[in-house]
Amino acid sequence: MVVGSVYERGAHPLDKYLRVTRLPHIWCPGCGLGIALGGILRAIDRRISEGMLKKENVVFVTGIGCSARTSFYANFDAAHTLHGRAIAFATGAKLAKPELDVIVIGGDGDIAGIGGNHLIHAARRNMDLIVIMITNFVYAMTGGQVAPTTPQGIYTTTTPHGNPEFPLNVIKLVSSLNPNYVARASVTHPPLVEQFMYRALGMKGFRFVEILSTCPEVFGRHVGLRDSVTLYNTLRSKVVVKHNPGVEESEPDWEKGLVAGEFLVRDRPGYLEMLRRR
Amino acid sequence: MRKAFISGNMAIAEGAIIAGMKFFAGYPITPASDIMEYLVERLNEVGGVVVQLEDEITSINAVIGASWAGAKSMTATSGPGFSLMVEALGLAVISETPLVVADIMRTGPSTGVPTKTSQSDVLQVRHGAHGDHIIPVLVPWSVQDAFELTVKAFNIAESLRTPVILLSDAVIAHLWESAVLKDPGEIEVVDRKKPMVPPSEYLPYKPDEDLIPPMASFGDGYNVIVESLVHDEHGYYRQDSDTYRRLITRLTSKIMSNVDKVFEVESYYVNDSKYVVVSYGSTARAALAAVRVLRSSGVKIGLLRLKTLWPLKPEALREPCRNADLVFVAENNTGKIVADVERFVKNAEVVSLPLLDLEVPTPDEIVEGVKEWL
Amino acid sequence: MRHEILIVGRGGQGILLLGRILGLAASKYSGLYVTGSEAYASETRGGMSRVDLIIADSPEDIDYIRVRKANIVLFMFPYDLEGYARIMSDDAFIFLNSTYVKEHPYVTRRAFSVPYNEVAEQVVGTSRVSNIVALGHLVARTGVLGDKQVEEALKEIIPEKWLDLNMKALRAGLEIR
Repeated sequence: MVVGSVYERGAHPLDKYLRVTRLPHIWCPGCGLGIALGGILRAIDRRISEGMLKKENVVFVTGIGCSARTSFYANFDAAHTLHGRAIAFATGAKLAKPELDVIVIGGDGDIAGIGGNHLIHAARRNMDLIVIMITNFVYAMTGGQVAPTTPQGIYTTTTPHGNPEFPLNVIKLVSSLNPNYVARASVTHPPLVEQFMYRALGMKGFRFVEILSTCPEVFGRHVGLRDSVTLYNTLRSKVVVKHNPGVEESEPDWEKGLVAGEFLVRDRPGYLEMLRRR
Repeated sequence: MRKAFISGNMAIAEGAIIAGMKFFAGYPITPASDIMEYLVERLNEVGGVVVQLEDEITSINAVIGASWAGAKSMTATSGPGFSLMVEALGLAVISETPLVVADIMRTGPSTGVPTKTSQSDVLQVRHGAHGDHIIPVLVPWSVQDAFELTVKAFNIAESLRTPVILLSDAVIAHLWESAVLKDPGEIEVVDRKKPMVPPSEYLPYKPDEDLIPPMASFGDGYNVIVESLVHDEHGYYRQDSDTYRRLITRLTSKIMSNVDKVFEVESYYVNDSKYVVVSYGSTARAALAAVRVLRSSGVKIGLLRLKTLWPLKPEALREPCRNADLVFVAENNTGKIVADVERFVKNAEVVSLPLLDLEVPTPDEIVEGVKEWL
Repeated sequence: MRHEILIVGRGGQGILLLGRILGLAASKYSGLYVTGSEAYASETRGGMSRVDLIIADSPEDIDYIRVRKANIVLFMFPYDLEGYARIMSDDAFIFLNSTYVKEHPYVTRRAFSVPYNEVAEQVVGTSRVSNIVALGHLVARTGVLGDKQVEEALKEIIPEKWLDLNMKALRAGLEIR
């Protein structure tokens, strides 16, 4: 098999961070998750090559959903846990073994919907975790139901007459708590993913990175942008990259644009440090 | 070894420390909160972490995470909190995560009577989590027992890679008794099995002959996978019946084939008895008193006090009842364990003595219940 | 040897503390086996508060956790004075805090009526240690435990800054004739 032999030869520089025997992955053509994972792994690779990070201390913790499948393929200690509970699981792992670098990756439904309370309290505690929320604006794995981030008016399988709800601005929510880092990237701007992840890896406390992503198969179909290139280009045209934007600029606005950038950078003591001070 | 005069909940905390627990996460709930309050001082002294989290869901998921980070881990709760934990218990089952949940039963359903006792959650701990599974459940009847069964709960959890439930109740929780707190060496303390092979040869869910896979922790360099989906020996998701059947059979068999490690029962006066009372937890204290009252008036009656509710060992129930005509099952609920006693004990008539008391049941209630059948 | 001790009082009178001290003195410092249980209304102050202690040589001598035939009873407050007779032996030692228990049905040789609050007030200067005065009296009259063992338990449980006060109260109780 041609594809298999390419993997066996270790053709890609990131193969050392992938469980190549599990490939090909389950993600649909045009899905942004591969770009997101690529950016995350490149940032990890840079930190490891700088001697700032040990591979054996990296733990990927995920819940359930398409984004959660990243723990299938990343060649680190990994946990594919329950829907919504990745932050809870990660909190225990980090507290029990502080030398671990625990990275939570999840979709918007997983992190901000069913797992929203854990997100709030981990950010409130400034828990020493990196949480990556990959936003595709929909529940994709279950077939296209409305998500807490779905824009108003959009068709989903559970809002057949248009989403009547206001979407949650997760950047604003997390920023209102005590995190050390809040940023928004987009798979349409891959270097941003790597750059923000790289920065987060060098910090302590609670670090939150939202990555806007493309789901042509489900979200794209709902909004009439089924073609992945068209969806990608449309999202790309909406993303406005800003240097140190204010939190008030984070409101997702499909007319004026979706602002990406580092909304909050702080150096407060993380939860572990506060705990040790007692 | 230390002699102490402590409560049942304090004994659970002390037992956990002796067993080597290094991580506790919990959420306040009557009548379990004082376990966390006690541990927050004591566990720090031995280098462990106690953390109060935002709810019971977080607590048990954090406990699973901590266990994978290598720490013996535990949470404590009561009915309403336990209800929130059952999904994660399933994760602990399928990912074979050692952990202990102390469930201090109180009156239900719903908020019930938070400060009062009950034994109505004995089937919840057996069947609460979805999917096929069996989780060992130990049930103490005294402060000393609470201490020793907590250590045993950790030993089972670590040796069989399973969640274990220590099922106490509001009476035992706040009963103060003389206790001998044994140190490691005076009481057996078991640690989980670690891999003996290099990471390149390690399969996280490949069992040894005893059906238990050695467990590497996060940070050990073994690239472990904690997997909530049905998985093969690599920890890779599989959707075929063979893999599913093999996994579920092993997860169940590893508990059932070790039933002698898990199951314990104490018997009092059963050898010559025409009548046997089966009971457990705080109700068994009243049952023993009732048995003594009845024997003093010439009734040949004995007591089987269950220390383990799940898994039950059929022959260990059947054998002591072989000469009995009547077997009474006294429990502070509408009659639950009685169904299994009926299933296993065929030669005698099995009678349910359902007691619905907010306080510890009295010996008189049991004496009267038995007398109706004499 | 086996004792069943029942202590009844009002929330805030230090009934639970009294039970802990007796239990510790009997278990840790006298090598006996003790089962103690507490019952109280959910209000911190004001409601009925009850301690049951069963003291025996070995755990085999104890089954049920509650008092069924008390041989030592202390009423710090008159809650259900007559009702409790159901779970008292005929020759029980009965101690009544006459500060609050003005009338009662117990006229036996072993019933003692003492105003523990007043004694505490006079000897120690505060009625807050009336429970410890009663403890001293109970221990001296019944001989259930040695003075030394009770003192040890007191030292373990009572915070340093209140210890002198409590020791004084205990001695006052021990000396009641």
